[in-house]
Amino acid sequence: MIATIARHQILSLRRQRTFLWLLATFLVMTALAGVLGWSSHRTIVGVYDESVKLLATQGLPAPENPFRLKPTLSLLSNMVVYIPLIGALLAIVLGHISLADDETDGIGRLVFSRRINRTTYIVGKAVGAAVVLFSILAVSLAVSTLALVIVNRALPSFGEFGRLAGFYGLSLLYLMVFAFVGMATVLLTHRRSLALLTATGVWLVITFAVPQVTSGLRPTQSLNPITDPVSTSQAFFRATSKARPYSVVEQYKQISGQVLETSTVKGSLTGLLSIAALGLLLAIAIVLLVQRHDYSTGTSSD
Amino acid sequence: MHQSAPVTTGGPAIELVGLSHRYNIEPVLRNVDLTIEPGEVFGFLGHNGAGKTTAVNILTTLITPTSGTARVHGFDVVAQRREVTAQIGYLPAEVRMYPHMTARENLEFFAKLSGVADARRAVTETLDYLDSADLADRRVGSFSTGMRQRIGIAQAIVHKPNVLFLDEPTAGLDPVGVRQLRDTILRLNRELGMTVFMNTHLLSEVAKVCTTIGVLNHGELIYKDSIEATTARFPDETSLEDIYVRMESIPS
Repeated sequence: MIATIARHQILSLRRQRTFLWLLATFLVMTALAGVLGWSSHRTIVGVYDESVKLLATQGLPAPENPFRLKPTLSLLSNMVVYIPLIGALLAIVLGHISLADDETDGIGRLVFSRRINRTTYIVGKAVGAAVVLFSILAVSLAVSTLALVIVNRALPSFGEFGRLAGFYGLSLLYLMVFAFVGMATVLLTHRRSLALLTATGVWLVITFAVPQVTSGLRPTQSLNPITDPVSTSQAFFRATSKARPYSVVEQYKQISGQVLETSTVKGSLTGLLSIAALGLLLAIAIVLLVQRHDYSTGTSSD
Repeated sequence: MHQSAPVTTGGPAIELVGLSHRYNIEPVLRNVDLTIEPGEVFGFLGHNGAGKTTAVNILTTLITPTSGTARVHGFDVVAQRREVTAQIGYLPAEVRMYPHMTARENLEFFAKLSGVADARRAVTETLDYLDSADLADRRVGSFSTGMRQRIGIAQAIVHKPNVLFLDEPTAGLDPVGVRQLRDTILRLNRELGMTVFMNTHLLSEVAKVCTTIGVLNHGELIYKDSIEATTARFPDETSLEDIYVRMESIPS
C-alpha cells in the first residue's frame, strides 16, 4: 500500500508544472554553480598566466598555479549555499503540494473512506517526496559531474565522485527535513496559503535566525570589531553559542564543506546527527498529526 | 463486474444506535436510532446543517462519533474500521479527484487502496458497466460536472461494495445528468443488490428512486418510513415536497 501511494504521488507530481519548475530550478542552480566555478577558475588561471609572464620578463621564478592548490570539487562550492537557500524552499513546496492537493480537492475523503490507514498514507507520501527529491538530486549530480569534466578536462576520480555522491546524499537528508516541514504545516493549518507561509517562516528561522543567534555574534560586531566592550555582558551570547551544534544549516554547510574539501572548518558527527534527529522528529510529528487531522472537510484553496 | 461483494455478517445494512455527535460544544446529531435493511434505497432528507453529512462522515469512518454506535453490515465504524471500509463506497458532494491524471489512473489508484487484486480489470469492467469507457484515458481536469460525477460513481463502486453512500449526488448536474444518475442508482440497487444511502435535497428524485426516507431536523431523526407508507400517511399532501415541509414544521 505504501508503494501504491508513493507511485501515485510521483506520477501526480510528474504531471504537474510545479515538478518541472522544481527540476528546472535545480538544474539551473547546479549549472550556475558550475559556471561560477569555471569563471572563477578561468580568472585565477588568467591572472596567474599574466603574472608568470611578468615575472619571467623580470627574471623571477614563477610560483605554483594557485588553482592547483585548490581541490577539484571546489568548483561546486556554491552548491553548499544554494541547497539551504533555494533547494530547501523547493523541498517545502514539494512537501506542501504532496498533501495540500489531497485536501483542497477533497480527495482525502475518498482515500480515507477506504481500507488504508493514515500511517501508511503519510509514509507513502514521504517516500514519494523522497524519491522525487532523489531523482532531482541525481540529475543535479550528473550536471555537476559534467561541469567538472568540462572544466578539468578529465573524469572525476573514484574518490572525488564518492565525495560528490556523499554531498548529494547529505543534501537529500537536509532537503527531506524541509519537505517534512512543508507537510507538517499543511496538517497544522486549514488554509493552503497559511500553511505555505508558516513553512517559509520556519525556513527563515532555521536558515537565518538560528545561525545568527547561535553564532555568538553580537548584532553590531560586524560594524564595530571590539570583541568584549567594557560593561557589556556576553553571557547571553556565550550561552547561545553552545547551541551551535544544533543549528542544522551551519552543520550542513560545515559537513558539506568537509565532504567536498572546500572548507577548512570540520563538520562533526553531532552535526550530522542533529540534522538526522530533526528529520526524524518531523517525520514522527507528521505521522502523529495525520492521525488527528480532519479529512471530512476540505482545506481552503485561497 | 467480476469481483465478488465483500462478506457480510448478516443483519441490517446500516444500524445507528443512540448516535450523537458534536463539533466543539455544538450538537450536530442527537441520539439518532436508525436501521436500514440490505437492498433498500434510503433517502436522507433534512435542511442545510441538519446533520446529514455528519452522519455520512461517521458511517464512512471519516470522523468518530461523540457517543452511540454506528454499524455497517454488523461492523462497528470505530472498532472495525477496516471491515467497514471494505463494505462501503462513497461519493461526496463535490468530486474532484487528481486533475492531472486520467480517469483510469485515478480509478486504479482507488481500486488498489480498496485492496482490489486486479485493479486494471476492475476499472475496465466498472467503466463498461457505467457506459463510461470513452472517459478512461482522458484527464479528469478536463471533465464537465456530469463526467466527473460518472467517474465519481465509478470510484465508489470499483471495489463492488455492499453499501453505497451518496452525499448530494445531483448537486450541479443538468436534468440529463440527474436522470442518468437516477438510472445508475436504480441499476446498482437492482442488478448488484447494493444498499444505497443518499443525502439529498431533490425530493422529486427521492420519490423516483428511494424505497425508504428518513428526515433529520436539527440533528434529530423525526421520521423514517417507506415511500408508500409516507404517501399513505399524508393523504392531503400532493407531493413529497409538501409532506417534507409539513414534517419539518411539526415539532419532534
